[in-house]
Amino acid sequence: MRWILAAALLSATPLHAGVPEALARIGKGYQTFAAATADLDTAAQASCEGLKPAFDTAWDAWLHVAQIRIGPVEDDGRALAIAFWPDPKALGAKAQRALLTGDPAALDPERFAEHSVAARGFSGLERLLFPDAALPADPCPLIRATTHDLARMAAGVNADWPAFSDKLAYPGGPGNTTYLTDLEAAQALLTQLASALEFTADQRLGRPMGTFDQPRPERAEARASGRSLRNVVEVLKASRDMALDLHPEAPQTEAAFARALALVDRLDDPTLGSVATAQGRLKVEILQNAIREARAAILSEIAPTLGVGLGFNALDGD
Amino acid sequence: MKRLLAAALATSALTATPLMAADPAAVVTTYADIAAAAYGDSLTTAQALQAAVAALIAAPSDSTLAAARTAWIAARVPYQQTEVFRFGNAIVDDWEGRVNSWPLDEGLIDYVAPDTATNEENDLAALNVIATPKFTLSGVEIDATEITPDFISGILHEADGIEANVASGYHAIEFLLWGQDLNGTGPGAGNRPYTDYAAGDACTHGNCDRRAAYLKAATDLLVRDLEDMAAAWAKGGEGRDAVLADPQAGLLTMLTGMGSLSYGEQAGERMKLGLMLNDPEEEHDCFSDNTHNSHYYDGLGIRNVYLGRYTRVDGSIVSGPSLSDLVAARDAGVDAELKGDLDASVKALKAIVTAAEGGLAYDMMLEPGNAQGEALIMGAVDALVKQTGAIERAVATLGLSKIAFEGSESLDNPGAVFK
Repeated sequence: MRWILAAALLSATPLHAGVPEALARIGKGYQTFAAATADLDTAAQASCEGLKPAFDTAWDAWLHVAQIRIGPVEDDGRALAIAFWPDPKALGAKAQRALLTGDPAALDPERFAEHSVAARGFSGLERLLFPDAALPADPCPLIRATTHDLARMAAGVNADWPAFSDKLAYPGGPGNTTYLTDLEAAQALLTQLASALEFTADQRLGRPMGTFDQPRPERAEARASGRSLRNVVEVLKASRDMALDLHPEAPQTEAAFARALALVDRLDDPTLGSVATAQGRLKVEILQNAIREARAAILSEIAPTLGVGLGFNALDGD
Repeated sequence: MKRLLAAALATSALTATPLMAADPAAVVTTYADIAAAAYGDSLTTAQALQAAVAALIAAPSDSTLAAARTAWIAARVPYQQTEVFRFGNAIVDDWEGRVNSWPLDEGLIDYVAPDTATNEENDLAALNVIATPKFTLSGVEIDATEITPDFISGILHEADGIEANVASGYHAIEFLLWGQDLNGTGPGAGNRPYTDYAAGDACTHGNCDRRAAYLKAATDLLVRDLEDMAAAWAKGGEGRDAVLADPQAGLLTMLTGMGSLSYGEQAGERMKLGLMLNDPEEEHDCFSDNTHNSHYYDGLGIRNVYLGRYTRVDGSIVSGPSLSDLVAARDAGVDAELKGDLDASVKALKAIVTAAEGGLAYDMMLEPGNAQGEALIMGAVDALVKQTGAIERAVATLGLSKIAFEGSESLDNPGAVFK
């Protein structure tokens, strides 16, 4: 990895400042994610009890790279399956009920990989480890199938990343029509950051906030495992780090992230349940605004310095 | 706000090749002309649907029901080609949810099969207003004895603030003409009998008069909404004036609509997600099994905007100076690539149409393990993703910036963008 980056720095096309650092961080993040999901799977195959620590470590590792929605995570619907949320029609729970009570052969690894993305990944695992109602059957076989599937996907992403990373590192290189210039590579990474922050503000906080008259605390992500706020924190830290990789001298961006993280520290509300009260909801709304300001700072400070715009992202539809 | 954007564009223009060929004002005029024609065609085909619905209600039969379904499918052809005008034109974005919302909790409107009206976030998912003239909504007693366009648009649509409560538009009408498709990923579409609209003892599933009233009101409402939008793009209309007033911003609106529809909406939300969920309800026209056409005409609409050319339902052509001309004048390579990508996505979407017409309906393509279906859908997804990259290149080639635009709208400190 390091050797490849060094070679790139010597090549004819100079890499855009910050892009190699960001790519290196992502690569390292995928390695950690692959290792953490492998550990989780090893633990689950040994026992379906006491998985919370390994589950938390693995989910944290995912959140450190979850903002990247280009490259191998997009193959075979991996990113969708790894963390399928939100799921307003409860498609995941429905598919899992069928798996819990159906033919055990459906849990074989090859077949499991073909199942609906809603039934798999961290969201699926959370419903089995922290059920809100009695499950119709012993969940252990499905837990093991799910951790195995997660580790398989993470290993695949990790294995496939270097080839994709090279496309960003060597824009316009032989056979690389995905990214033609260093500006396009930098813009692609910046766009990922911006949309991750948009998703966090609009969905991770916006969904439980609901409306002033009708807050929806039950809609928070990862509520059952008590990780709703932690997911926000991990995304914020990872986004800050990558933003500063792209451009280290970004005082407005740094300050905006520091402010958002300080607000998180004061919340002391792991499941965001406080949105149910007017005062609690207001505090979450202030955090939501702070996250939007961090995104705005990236766009107003880092983007023009890099000379790039904002590309299209998965949130552009309705 | 406008001034900042203009300043940003002027800055970039200094470094770019001077523009000789097409003129932005002429390009956005073509865009507005295509919008006027496509919304106009949407209106006339919806009026034809309105007449077919009236005939169905007056004399329910297999043939009047079939004629109404045919009229609905025909109405989708021009409308889907207008979807590219979304995601940037405020007047369209504020309005679109009334006419083409999807997916819907159809149990809000009429009877559904047991256990199919599940939505943990929607208490009204099984309301069945056709069978329920009086009900409570957020603590308020609602009298739905008379089902009118105003009742549908003002009270029922998006009731409780929930988007899945789709009471109006094409898909509500589609549900009333076809009914639920209970064939899963197997062959067959919705199979509502014409007797759902029959009088007296011949009536099936109850409340046929109220069902007919709903269908009529929803169709009348669609026509009314399309009248508004067709007028908005005619001479002196609000949508037309907005893009003509600032042609540079209009160019960005055009490209933003193309890219947003290609990537986040069509490739992502509508196609890849549905495939990865293997869920037949995740097909866009899930009652009628007309999804292949809806996707195809969406793709065609994107190409129309770039090439500045739209073929009307009567076969006549609206065309003029295009984005393509403008991009080609700056960078022929970017223009050639984008044209090639647009042709490729239209071709990939056409392959889905051909397969569907040959018997492999879109919901069958979603079946787990259906390799042919997956290849067809992912072929189109990949083509749409690829063309999005070329659209981004066109944005850069014209010296436009989504940040400058977004910044003019929402950043706290917009001055920082251009310092």
